Amino acid sequence: MKITIKLIGPFIYTAGFSEREFETSEPTTVEGLLGLVGIGQDRPRIVTRNGKAVGRLDELRDGDRVVIAPVYSGG
Amino acid sequence: MNGWTGNILRVDLTTKTYRKETFSEEFAKKWIGGRGFALKILWDELKPGIDPLGPENKFIVALGPIAGIPAPNTGKAVVAAKSPITGGYGDGNLGTRVSEHLRKAGYDVLIVEGRAASPTYLYIEDDKVGFLPADEVWGKGTYDTNDWIYAKYGKGVGVLNIGQGGENMVLYAMVRSLEGRAGGRPGMGAVMGSKKLKAIVVKGTKTIPVADPEQMKAIGTGDLKKVRAIDKESGWSIQSTTGVLAWCNEVAALPVRNFRKTQHPDAWKIDGERLNDARIATYGCPNCTMHCGITIRDREGRESELDYENIGLLGANLEIFDLDQVGSLNYLCDDYGIDTISAGCSLSFYADAIEHGATTGDFRFGDAERAKELLGLAARREGELGNLLADGTLRMARRFGHGSEAYAMQVKGLEVAAYNCKFIPGMALAFGTSPIGAHHKEAWVITFELKQTARDSYGREKAEKVVELQRIRGGLFEFMVACRFPWVELGWDLKNYPIYFNKATGLDWTLDDFWKVSDRIYALMKFFWAREIPGWDRTRDYPPMAWFDPANADTEGPIAGKVLELDKYNELLDHFYDIRGWDKRGIPTRKTAESLDLADEAGEVEKYTRLKLG
Repeated sequence: MKITIKLIGPFIYTAGFSEREFETSEPTTVEGLLGLVGIGQDRPRIVTRNGKAVGRLDELRDGDRVVIAPVYSGG
Repeated sequence: MNGWTGNILRVDLTTKTYRKETFSEEFAKKWIGGRGFALKILWDELKPGIDPLGPENKFIVALGPIAGIPAPNTGKAVVAAKSPITGGYGDGNLGTRVSEHLRKAGYDVLIVEGRAASPTYLYIEDDKVGFLPADEVWGKGTYDTNDWIYAKYGKGVGVLNIGQGGENMVLYAMVRSLEGRAGGRPGMGAVMGSKKLKAIVVKGTKTIPVADPEQMKAIGTGDLKKVRAIDKESGWSIQSTTGVLAWCNEVAALPVRNFRKTQHPDAWKIDGERLNDARIATYGCPNCTMHCGITIRDREGRESELDYENIGLLGANLEIFDLDQVGSLNYLCDDYGIDTISAGCSLSFYADAIEHGATTGDFRFGDAERAKELLGLAARREGELGNLLADGTLRMARRFGHGSEAYAMQVKGLEVAAYNCKFIPGMALAFGTSPIGAHHKEAWVITFELKQTARDSYGREKAEKVVELQRIRGGLFEFMVACRFPWVELGWDLKNYPIYFNKATGLDWTLDDFWKVSDRIYALMKFFWAREIPGWDRTRDYPPMAWFDPANADTEGPIAGKVLELDKYNELLDHFYDIRGWDKRGIPTRKTAESLDLADEAGEVEKYTRLKLG
């Protein structure tokens, strides 16, 4: 299963990359993915899949584009 | 009275006279400062229907009880006047040393009246005011003007100034300060220009009255360090506000091609990552904990300080994806002293109108070099085209006709900031109900809409969130006069603000005490509109009609085929009015006015429109 992860803002510098394709044989949830990229569960964030918000226990599917962003509040 | 100096400096440019006035503790507690002071003074002193660019308008600089005191992000000032672009109450805030110096000179408010006979700048030093000639810099940009002032008085003074945009009364001309600070989107710079007021320079040497100076200093300076540490740990300042660009592109909220599209494959070329890589300097405001002014070298080799709004409107929305070219457009706006949001929207509207046959011309999306020329024409009001562009999108649309008003991206005459809400109902409501036109500073609910509720919901929870944010952002931070960023972006606890307020004033207020002041200010801003515009109705709280047009829907991506629905938007607006205690026209009821201690103001507005009882 291939998943593209796009990180936003400061998360880029936490994880050390901006966008990367991950390949996994196991079913993965949003929570599992966060662990994979090294973003702590305590960091406020908003996760979207293909442009739409998802919850932390949602399972990801092959070809998903997952975007992990801090909870911006619009300057 | 502690916290407040209790003094207003009133300056008349026509007669070259000035006087110190005092205000009561009751006035201070009722309006707190900043936006509250400015609004109440303009309400009391401006005759309805006056020309915003005539000598009878008043330009106000207003500060709050913690302004200029060392504490997180207190180096800001509110500038206000009747707006030439909207015709309603207008204001903005900007980082400036005027905040500290005006308070140290002994004033919380500066009111500038009349019109100078020739270009003038004010030099205020404690109790003295000088009316000095500015002919030497009239016609020059804000950078040269700032340098000219620094050469005379040193870099430590407080300065507010305007560029050619303000002088020529471009309706979206701004007030500028420091290296890259700007404020007053609804034409506050044009009001200065109409008075032939090139700059205000302030030097104060007194002590700001504080009830508990030792505690205030200990808490304020301690918290400055704490917030700086939080920022460093979170990494927010690495991209500052520009981090949001890539996110808006991912979730289909980016303004592209005059807001007709919400995403673009080249958006990455101008995002926060690229900006951080190109950074040559970083600037911030006095007492700043999280400097957001990322500066790059523009195409012509000049320093240009960018934030998200600049890049969104001068870049993506014009389909210009060369960062240094966006930097050039931004530099020109800053030097001319015109608002990057309205300037960007005016250019994108012009390109769109040409493309849709509403007018003719040679400007196309993506043409950065022509965009530079057009900004110059607008700032100088050169020729018919310059004058058109200088008046903003609504007036341009009324000239062009052919239904172009639907895609003039503005509310109440003020252009929309860089969030494309064609399918974000709550944020569309935030723009629609922003009391000075489509400004993002009052409420910002996009992440709430995506994370804590459904994007397609028009439910009451979104109206509740908009009101909650207006109370904090457009209320608390605007009357306290402090930057909202520590709370907005780093989660710095709001409960710190009554602590600062109480240490400064000696009062014992809680956050709940502030919300009533916020609601009072929002109600009076609406009364201001109702008094100025007979027959006020709810359609003036609508976002641009392009967002409701199915023909304007995205054809691909996460919101393909979706646009806002007017019936549902009206339901959302009803929720908003109901929460606020306003009638179906969007005007506060008499009962609401009385509950907010605005009975006298209600009586005044009833000379112009009948209030519902509530």
